[in-house]
Amino acid sequence: MPAVRPACEVREVIQELRERIQRIERRPVRSDRVVASGWVEVDGLLGGGFPRGALAEIVGTPGSGKTALALSAAARATAEGALAAFVDARGELYAPAAAALGVDLERLLIVRPPAPAVRGSARARELAPAVRDALWAAEALLGSGAFAVVAVDAPLAAGARAGAGGASAEAMLRRLQGAAEKGGAAGLWLGEPGSCRAPAAVRLEVAAGAEGPVVRRGGPDTGAYVDVA
Amino acid sequence: MSMSHEEATQLELGAARPVLGPRLCAVHVPDLALQRVTRARARTQGAGSGSPAGDEPPLAVIGEGRVVAATPAARASGVRVGDSAVQAEAACAGLVLVPHDAEADRGALEALAEALLALAPAAEVVLPDVLLLDASGARVVARDEPDPEAAIAARAVAIAGELGYRARAVVANGRGPARALARFGAVAPPVPPGRLTAALARLPLQALELPGPVAARLRALGIHDAGALARLPASGLGQRFGEAGVAAWRLARGEDPSPLAPWTPSVLPSEEVELEAPVESAEPLLFALKRLCDRAAARLAGRGLGASRLELVLRLDPAGTARLEIALASPSAAASRWLLVLRERIGMLRLEGAVARARLEVAAASPAPPEQLALADRPEQLAALDTVLARLAARLGADGAFAAEPVDRHRPEAAYRAAPFRASPRRTGGGGGEEDAPPPPRPTRLLAAPLPLVAEGEGGRLTAVRLEGRAFPVAALSPPERLAGEWWDRPFDREYRRARLDGLGDCWIFRDVATGRLWLHGFFD
Repeated sequence: MPAVRPACEVREVIQELRERIQRIERRPVRSDRVVASGWVEVDGLLGGGFPRGALAEIVGTPGSGKTALALSAAARATAEGALAAFVDARGELYAPAAAALGVDLERLLIVRPPAPAVRGSARARELAPAVRDALWAAEALLGSGAFAVVAVDAPLAAGARAGAGGASAEAMLRRLQGAAEKGGAAGLWLGEPGSCRAPAAVRLEVAAGAEGPVVRRGGPDTGAYVDVA
Repeated sequence: MSMSHEEATQLELGAARPVLGPRLCAVHVPDLALQRVTRARARTQGAGSGSPAGDEPPLAVIGEGRVVAATPAARASGVRVGDSAVQAEAACAGLVLVPHDAEADRGALEALAEALLALAPAAEVVLPDVLLLDASGARVVARDEPDPEAAIAARAVAIAGELGYRARAVVANGRGPARALARFGAVAPPVPPGRLTAALARLPLQALELPGPVAARLRALGIHDAGALARLPASGLGQRFGEAGVAAWRLARGEDPSPLAPWTPSVLPSEEVELEAPVESAEPLLFALKRLCDRAAARLAGRGLGASRLELVLRLDPAGTARLEIALASPSAAASRWLLVLRERIGMLRLEGAVARARLEVAAASPAPPEQLALADRPEQLAALDTVLARLAARLGADGAFAAEPVDRHRPEAAYRAAPFRASPRRTGGGGGEEDAPPPPRPTRLLAAPLPLVAEGEGGRLTAVRLEGRAFPVAALSPPERLAGEWWDRPFDREYRRARLDGLGDCWIFRDVATGRLWLHGFFD
């Protein structure tokens, strides 16, 4: 027969549980649904920032400012004590610029496959080993649950395959989306015009403007754009 | 060496107030040599199941041709401590004889001391089988326990158990009394200072470790236990035995004010196991490695350190060695985190043979920050981070994932270097009040090798550049920034500009001052 607790003891337990719940509710929610980009106008376009647990595609030419946008989001994440990762299949990320944009370099993991993909390989029909490694690493990082932001820069042509009979680029990008959902990270896919489109929740198009990058929310139904000078 | 009447009188007066030593926790590891040998013979079958004691082969440790310790199975077959090796083998068929290794015993005791440092500010190693811990801070270390000293003793026994040793511990005053009670006393709660003499009284004279001649003469007088010795008149002992006799008498009463001689660990821990049979799959190996992790981590934790790098050495059957270097995201003494990383790495390992022996070394360690502070108060993220870093290292190599560390160099391509990624504790408070000058603009992408550009211009003004045959009009051009230096090695002299090129965006271009040629070096992407 179970022991019956006196009423006063039960009240104390309930009160303690109430207080505990209140404490939990007062905690800052670290896994907010978005990661701010740090560019006020872009955050306005996105409804607060890049969605967590999803892939966002940022498309632009090499000098458009898309990398700076991704690094700015990484800067916001690292400033809040979270970790960010940059998968750099081309081997071109310049860390001093990341630091200048406010990224805490000690909290930014740079992943660089042994043989970086050469510039221009975004049109290759077969994925270079570096791109395959980069996609694998991106999936691991996005799904790990350890990173708030994972930016991925890998040249990927539409219809490219990982070897004969291998997975298509589109299928591999879908896996990234799934990994982001699993790990709760904001995945930022950096694409170039004409490269493979990611199955992203958000698509931003970045272009170099006279006064700085011009960012447009992509997709056929949205015509909003902002000038981030 | 007789004593004066005055000295003897002082002794009689002192008899009322024993001079007690520091409060110590003595941890005794009985049959250390035997325990060490049996502990090293790890069983790998049936992860976690353990084997019934009856399966253990009879084993005896032999020192100078005689049995110094024997397992229960060997003793049940008639093997006795003190038997010659020949006698022991004759008494027990299939007896395994292992030579005594005093150095290995010392190493084992020191390893245990390392782990026990988690409980006390100082520890002394007393060969062959006792550790003394400073228990004066028990109320701080175990402040939530009703009896802090008893809790420390229990925890010491538990830690020894985690490391694979059966031990007993007692808390008492003084090095000699604590040692004697741990070795010869029954397992007991802490001995209060006022009851020390009574607690010692039941111990045999041997427990006091008296000098041979003194012990022999006392036995000849019919003194066989500490209580009988303590009851003798001190003055008479002083006159018959001199200072040695008085020292023995004091010890029997529990008086030993000598301070602890602290032992300081000098090397980082490593733990080794020889597998009973070579293993070819990951699970039994991981089972054996768990023990190594537990032991090494406990030793490291005792020193307030965390491993930042581990090295696993696998000896293969019949020959060959495999080495794995494992970096941890942050210093950790949590065996569970080590094991997560090891599991990832071993899962991706292709070995040329079965593993016969494994050694886990802590290759680098540093003071371990409290784990919960390391990653935004979320220790589970640290485990996730360790795991993913291990996976990346296994596929991309040790240099495939890194943190960038700034380097004070003018040459742009040498302005940072790769450093191990550590989830450093979150910084608070910002960088201070002084505002630094804004750094000069730097591109977010730097090409591994600059691309040659062909300049096109009018009247000395750059109007377009050609890259790989395609012309890009120059929409804007910043003032030049001169970067030069390293005349002692590979001198360079470049004039950099930020150029906005129609169709390409913002680029970082430079003119090589020595040759006058124009290059594309990066993108302000």
